[in-house]
Amino acid sequence: MKRVFFCTLLFVLCVSMNSLLFAQDGWGNLTGQIVISGDAPVNQPEDVKDNSDKAVCLIDGKVPLDDGVVVNDKNQLRDVYVMMYTGRGADTPDTYHPSYDAQTKVKLTLDNVKCRFVPKASFARPGQTLILKNSDNVGHNCRIATMEHEHNINIVKNAESEIVLGEESDKIPGEVRCDIHQWMDAIILIRDNPYVSISDKDGKFKIENIPAGDWKFQFWHKKGGYLKTIEVKGYEPDRRGTIELTIKSGETLELGTLALPGDALTK
Amino acid sequence: MIGNSVSRLFYQLICIGTALLGMTGCERSEPPVFRFNSVEWVKQEKTHLAEGEHFPEDYKAEIGTIMTALFGTPDDPTFPFFLGDEDPAHDVISIESLRMAAGPTRVDKRESATGLYREHCAHCHGITGNGAGDTAASLEPYPRDFRLGKFKFKSTPLRSPPTDHDLTEILVNGIPGSAMPSFRTLPEDQIQSLVEYVKYLTMRGQFERFLLGELAALDGEPLIDLSLVDKPDGGEPSEDDVEEFEDQMYAVIGEGLQERIIARWLKPERKVTKIEAAPPEFDIQHQAHRQFVQKGRELYFAKGNCMQCHGDTGIGDGQLNNFDDWTNDWIKSADVDTADPTSYADFSAVGALPPRPVKPRNLTHRYYRGGDHPDDLYLRLRNGIEGTPMPASTAMTSDEIWAVVAYVRAMPYLDSTRDESEKPVNEKQVMR
Repeated sequence: MKRVFFCTLLFVLCVSMNSLLFAQDGWGNLTGQIVISGDAPVNQPEDVKDNSDKAVCLIDGKVPLDDGVVVNDKNQLRDVYVMMYTGRGADTPDTYHPSYDAQTKVKLTLDNVKCRFVPKASFARPGQTLILKNSDNVGHNCRIATMEHEHNINIVKNAESEIVLGEESDKIPGEVRCDIHQWMDAIILIRDNPYVSISDKDGKFKIENIPAGDWKFQFWHKKGGYLKTIEVKGYEPDRRGTIELTIKSGETLELGTLALPGDALTK
Repeated sequence: MIGNSVSRLFYQLICIGTALLGMTGCERSEPPVFRFNSVEWVKQEKTHLAEGEHFPEDYKAEIGTIMTALFGTPDDPTFPFFLGDEDPAHDVISIESLRMAAGPTRVDKRESATGLYREHCAHCHGITGNGAGDTAASLEPYPRDFRLGKFKFKSTPLRSPPTDHDLTEILVNGIPGSAMPSFRTLPEDQIQSLVEYVKYLTMRGQFERFLLGELAALDGEPLIDLSLVDKPDGGEPSEDDVEEFEDQMYAVIGEGLQERIIARWLKPERKVTKIEAAPPEFDIQHQAHRQFVQKGRELYFAKGNCMQCHGDTGIGDGQLNNFDDWTNDWIKSADVDTADPTSYADFSAVGALPPRPVKPRNLTHRYYRGGDHPDDLYLRLRNGIEGTPMPASTAMTSDEIWAVVAYVRAMPYLDSTRDESEKPVNEKQVMR
């Protein structure tokens, strides 16, 4: 019995050691920071019209500003999707790093707070469970419409509903809307290839454990579509906003600061 | 699987290209043609190109050639059965059915009919199934445009195609409250032929939309570059050329048509939503039925959130400024102000009908467009209605859904001027 136990222990150790080694050998990371050059578009007030839920939806009594383009005081841009290109003619890896296996089992929450989706931009894997939450004291519906996925779920005030996403993969993000409060919108990318990062409030992105090799990466923003004018030192993005990068085993490719002309975000 | 069909399709493409070039005859009348989806073209331009920029016109001819190679013409329809006789799509579409529905309206000596679609459907839904037949503009609601692949009244959830049974029900019963009549008097095989023809037009339209969606990323290159393998100088294509050609064929035909569209239409029965049995008190004779209806009424205002659109008294006077997906599809793409026709003049010029807000159903009438059987209402609540703001009620138990169904069915008979004791449970919100 003891012997069996030690054999098992040894096996487990081997496997975990192996994956430790794996993480260093054969995989690399990608980082960068996106900043708007020139002036960022000025956010206009949302078109709230005469919606009867104003009591809940106004922020400090004021009509909220459109959150399509969100920058911090240094003009660093949030909500840019930096993603391995999987579109037409794409070369993509056959396997993903095991650290991504658990991702599909995590439940992803999409909340409604003061008639605004939180988070604004999200990434989900096929088969993942979404918790559609409503922290507001009014009813919402949550309409997810991407190329491959569609849901329209009634979410009762101060409650939540769960949905399980289908198995299809999208190539670019789709949208999330509420029909009751039509200014509400969010973005979601649903796809199997996990090499995706959404720039944070400081414009920073980081994709970890990419297989070593040459891969195309794409820059996309809701208000700019494919960001073909993004400036990446040493690279020339094509019409689809993609650049080909060489990921080296055990290294982090630092793209540094990527400048995006403000006029790219006009959609 | 695709490899086999690649060469076949390639020859079809070449043949049709040649045929188009060589067409010089002077026929008496032009046969009808499938109309190009110009609204989608304008939408893609507005979404992806700068103001005043346009896609090369050549794409229209290329898309036309690909569509004709795969789907034929209104007089001579065909379907891409990539695996020949073994293709599972034979369960979904049969060429015999398509021929019965297609072509000019005619009955031969043995009384077997053809041209059923043109006889019964085309004047509203259009030859192309684009919902833009001659009568379309004067109908409310507009006739359905099949090309988005969305169907409202079905037993499957959103993004899952309807079953043949769902489509048959619509043809047999019509859609009360719309111009869609009942075709109950047609024999079964004719109904089936029309069901299959609707699916054919739908898949065709979905694929055309897919091709148009690809244009922005192509940068002027063709969708499928035939010159890779059919060299203008007559030379042999290199291995790289053949590989590139096969990649293009796979991206367009394999992924775009086979996997994204046709495969999903196979066996929609797998996705049918299970209808849980109604509790005994759903029966109008049951002693607790009255309380059950009252429970439904409470849910209507609380968990169901129904009053938000259908209004406090159910007359459909809640949210009135929404549009359906067939309209949203293009008005969301550009700065369209639905109140200002000049803002969508480019779309009107290519046939888009003026946007009309979608009306939440008035529940105090006994018209239920998707059918008045309790199961129909259950499905509308459980799954929502595709293409409309009506959401799915995933949070309600099946008994709760049945209670709302009971209340909705009782609504036409309830007095709308209720006394104080019957005020809704969340009075504050409702009486805002």
